[in-house]
Formats: sequence, structure tokens, C-alpha cells
Amino acid sequence: MTTTSLAAEAAPSPSPRTGSAATPAVRSKRRIDPTYYWMVVPVLALFAFFITLPALVGVFFSLTNYAGYGDWKFIGLSNYVNIFKDPAVLQSYIFTFVFALTTTVVVNVVALAIALGLNAKIKWRTGIRTVFFIPMVLSALIVSFVFNYLFSNTLPVLAERFGVTPLATSILANENLAWLAIVLVTVWQAAPGATIIYLAGLQSVPSEVYEAADLDGAGSFRQFLSLTLPLILGYLVINVILGFKGFLGTYEIIVGLTGGGPGMATQSVAMRIFSGFTGGDYSYQMANAVIYFLITLLISVIQLRLIQRRGVSL
Amino acid sequence: MVLPLTGCGANTGRQNGITTLRFMQNKPEVVDYFNQVIKDFEALNPDIHVIQDSNEGNFVPGLVRNDPPDVVTRGFAQATADFVKKGIFADLADLPAASTINPEMQELISSWGRYNGHETSALPFSVAAAGVIYNRDIFEANGVAVPTTWDEFVAACETFKAAGIVPVYGTFKDPWTLAQGMFDYVAGGSLDVAEFFARLTAAGAGVSKAAPESFTNNFGPALPKMLQLASFSQSGATSKNYADGNAAFAKGQAAMYLQGPWALSQLVAANPAIRLGTFPLPVTNNPNETKARVNVDMALSITRNTPNMAAAQRFVSYLLEPAVVNAYNEKNAAFSPLKDAPAVTDPQISGLSNSIREARYFQGAVTYFPPSVPVNNYIQSFVYSKNGDQFLSALDDEWRRVAERTAV
Repeated sequence: MTTTSLAAEAAPSPSPRTGSAATPAVRSKRRIDPTYYWMVVPVLALFAFFITLPALVGVFFSLTNYAGYGDWKFIGLSNYVNIFKDPAVLQSYIFTFVFALTTTVVVNVVALAIALGLNAKIKWRTGIRTVFFIPMVLSALIVSFVFNYLFSNTLPVLAERFGVTPLATSILANENLAWLAIVLVTVWQAAPGATIIYLAGLQSVPSEVYEAADLDGAGSFRQFLSLTLPLILGYLVINVILGFKGFLGTYEIIVGLTGGGPGMATQSVAMRIFSGFTGGDYSYQMANAVIYFLITLLISVIQLRLIQRRGVSL
Repeated sequence: MVLPLTGCGANTGRQNGITTLRFMQNKPEVVDYFNQVIKDFEALNPDIHVIQDSNEGNFVPGLVRNDPPDVVTRGFAQATADFVKKGIFADLADLPAASTINPEMQELISSWGRYNGHETSALPFSVAAAGVIYNRDIFEANGVAVPTTWDEFVAACETFKAAGIVPVYGTFKDPWTLAQGMFDYVAGGSLDVAEFFARLTAAGAGVSKAAPESFTNNFGPALPKMLQLASFSQSGATSKNYADGNAAFAKGQAAMYLQGPWALSQLVAANPAIRLGTFPLPVTNNPNETKARVNVDMALSITRNTPNMAAAQRFVSYLLEPAVVNAYNEKNAAFSPLKDAPAVTDPQISGLSNSIREARYFQGAVTYFPPSVPVNNYIQSFVYSKNGDQFLSALDDEWRRVAERTAV
């Protein structure tokens, strides 16, 4: 997922929804300025034409045996039935969810630690902040190709020289460990975005509460646990929700690192779906895409509920 | 079936008495070569103008728009066979050039299925043959002759190992290299791949693991040899890819390399002094059973509803004139499909010419899989885990699932 969307989506959420609450009742009686429609309708039309319509076409073809070209006919729900009997698809779901959960946890731990460090009054703070944000502006594909080289060539050579035999072969070639390399690179890429949100949260905490805690004799770990964490909980929820949603769609970092291998070990759901375009398996993978859409929709609804609950209590 | 009736595109058609043909050719490395061929053709046929179109991605959209190229050349395997089954291409059986083609090579195309059961939808233009590329200097320095039986091959590998030379350079990180090399060579050498897939396809949906047509019941005996072949690679082969392999083999870091002719030009580019040869991998101990892996690298077709049929036929006939087709294949380390093609003299591939002349060849087993089965990944998995039963039952399951959902 791109970090711009992270920042953009995250920014309005923590602030209580003052807009709707503050709108006076009289205003709604007046005629609405058409300018607002001019702002919304074109985007709505473009969205409908380029996103909604193709999605509906995809749903339609998921009920056929269309290969992407040539003849097709309706086959009802049998694509959906077959998806549930396909262990390769099931494996990609398990991989994707385990990956997304692990990455979300690691990204947030790392990002929170970095944010705490960068929020402290350390030397060269601006310079260090810049360095930490560089991964955000690099393309994920390029980052993963660079790491691919490091894992495949540099690391094994170093490991051999220093006698660390377990690392002498690339971890990308190990079916049980390759996913950890993907987690590592994803964290490297995604942590800065989360860090920005945490930094914004940390800066919103008034310094008086820490002064009061100091007077009460609370240690810094106690301060973090009892003051900082509850006060930035809203930001944590946002990071977890947006991060998890993004990691479920993971694609380009895997393509750059393992290409789904070794064997079938790191095939994400998005990769399986995309294989339908090249594989003459269009309608089958469209059914997969519809199922995946419903699952992510369900998760998003639950998460939105959570956000709203946090929003109220903030 | 819906196909063009008025397929006159922007660039093709007849103007001022000159017919313009669009010729789709998807190999970037021979674009210049074909521009020269086209120039020669136009000099002889001033009433025809040919445009070379190397944008293969436009082919299917062209069909949808009823504006496909007039003459098409593609590699012939699963994907092109699908187009044949849908009747995209015209019947070329009556073309005089069709009778000059070696029937064994034509069979490489026909075996994928013919439209209406009898049509000739494509004529082979170039057949690429793959085997074991070897470094002649390393073979000579160690007194190793080109092996003609499996036992000789194993003995040669042991000799190299004892001399501290990597017998076979492995690039396991790229699953396709394992698939086209180790898997296809051993499978093609030990069983009749074309016949196996014909029986499997004919059996349709619902072929279980226990069925006589299954992978489990046919590929089992070949698997130990595949693993033995993989074991002759250098340690750390799992983290090397195709580009690494080309660089290392060109530097003389191994005696043999399981790659096709497409790697030859890159090896020579990396080390112009290297002396290379190719031999078909012997998988049994009967030298007369040794087979080469071939693929129809280019096959010529005319789209069925082209408005310029006569001109297209003249162009295809010109391309299949012995002087043109033989010159192309000689220049590009490939084999001519003509009945009376001259013997191949290129020392890099001449080691395969006996197999080709005697029609001892097969099309790679992986090329028969529908693209939705990630067979290369399964092969890589098998090499890493060495679990043959799991590998074959995975192939059986995948094949059955695809057959089930495409049968409806």
C-alpha cells in the first residue's frame, strides 16, 4: 500500500467529527450550492466507470467459464464451489493472513519504537527523521530487487566467510523461511508511514501530563504504559487497521523477492488472482477475487466500527 | 465463432494497387533479420508491402476488434494450440510449401489438435532443439568424451567432481530452468511425453491418482534420475538464477549446463573465446533411445478471415522457400523444418543433429500444462523437498481440478 494514502486517510480520523455536529440546522433548509455537486459528481462518475463497472463485469464473468477470450457460457456457481476444493487457493489464503498479521504486529512495534525515539529531544533529530523516511519514497519493487540481491548473493558470501553455516544459502531459497524475508522487507518499507502517524500522535500529547507524572514519581516505562499508550490508542488503531488491509493485498514485494516460490511457499491471494489473467483461468480467479473482496469487506466493516468507537471515546 | 468479415485495419488493405500485409513476429532479437527478409520479398513482389508488427500483446485484442494481423508467427505450444482450436487460422494444407515440410516436424504442431480434425493451421518455420550445453575445453582437459548413455553421463559427472569441477551448473532460483532442463529432459528421455498427455487429455475430467493415465503411475520411475541430476549441481544452486548461471558458465565454472540454444548467444557474448557444444541428455543406457527436447520456435499461420489471402499466401510461401528458411535457421542456431534441409554445421548445436534427423525428439512435458497450473513451482518444490509422491499427487490434483472446471 502506498504511504500517501496512509497519511491522507489517517489525518482526518483522529479529530472528532466537528463538521457535522457544528452544522447549524438552518443551513440544511437553504438551497445547496451546486458547486459541491460539481466537486463530487465527476469523481463519482469516474469511480463508477473505472472501478465499480469493471468490478461488476468481473462478478458477472465469475459465473461463466470465460477464459479471457473466445466463447463462454454460464456455469452458475461452480467456479465458487471449485475454489473451496482447491488446496492451492486455500494455502494462499493461509499464507496471506499469517503474513498480514505478523507484518502488522512487527510494523507497529518497530514504528512505535522509532517514533518514540524521534520524538525525544535527540541530537540531529531532523536529519535522522529524514533518513528514516527514505524507504517511503522508494518503489517497493526496486526495494525488493535490491534485497533480493542482498539475500541471494551478499548475505551468503558474508555468512560463509564468518562461518555462519545456516545463512550460507539464501533464505529466499528456503521454503520455511522465505516468508520471513518478505516480512522483513515489507516492514522496512511500511514502517516509516506508520511512524509518521505515531509521531503525529505523540506530538498531540500535552507535555503537562508527563510533568504531572514526573511529580508523581512514575518511571519512563510506567509513563509509556499508562500515559502515552492510552493517549495515542486512536493512532494505534488506525495503523493496525490500515496496515492490515494493505498487507492483505501484498503483491509487488513478493514478486521482486521470491515470485511466489520457492515452490508454492509464498503465493499470496493477489498473486493467485492475477495469474488468472495470464493463465486462461480468468473466470475462476474472478470468483476467487469476489470471495476475497467479500472477506476484506467484512474485515473493513468490523474495523470501521472499531474506528468509530474509538472516535467517540477520544 | 465470431470472426472478421470486413477486417480492414488502418494500416492494412489495398491502396494504389499495393496490398499491405501485417506480419506479427514476436521475437525481438530477430526483428532486424526479418526487416531484411521483408525487403528482399518486396523487391521480388512490388505489389505487396509488409509491415512487421512485434507487439504480441496486441494479438488477442486484434482478434476481438476483428483486425488481426494477416500473417502470424508464434512459438507453437499450448497457447497457440488454443487459438487453433478456436479456428482463428486458415487451412494451409493446399499451399505447395506445405508438402516440403518434414512430416515429423509438422506432427509437432498437429499433435496439439487440428481444427475440424484435419486442417493445417500452422507450418513450422524454425525448430529449436535443447540438450546439455557443454564446455569443450573442460571436457578435453579432463579426457571426458560426450556421454551416450546414462551410466556414461553419471561417470562423467563423477570424473568432474573428483577433479573439483562442478559437473552441471544449477540455477534453481528460477523455477523455469529446472522445468525445461532437469524435468523435461529426464521425463522426455524416459517416457513418451506426447502419448502420455494425449491419453491424459482423452481421459478428461476425473483422472484420479490411481488411474493408469495419472502422473503418479507414469512419472514415478523418472523421479530418482531427476534428483540425481540435480545433485550434480554446485552447492548454493538454490540462490542462483538464469543470469547468474550464464555468467558463471561462460567463465568456465562448470562443465555442463542444462539450457536451450537461447542461452548460447549470451554465453558467447559473455566470453567470446568459449568453445561450446550441445548433446542430448542420455536418460537410458540405450544410445538409440536418446532424445532431444525440441520446441517449434516459430510457426507460420494466416488468419482465417484476412482480406489479403492471396498476398498472405505468397508471403508465407516465400518465407518457406529453402533459401529463406534454411538461412534463418542456420543463422539462429535452430533446425530447419524442411524435408531436405542441409546438415547443421554450427558446432554449438551439431551434437543434436543426429537426434533431429532421426526424429528422436519430444516437446517438453511442462509445455503441455495449462498455464493456470504453476508446474514450475511444483518442480522446484520437488527438488528442494525430494518428496516425489507429494509432487506427483499435487500434479494429479491440479490437472484434475483444471480438467473439471474447464470440462463444464
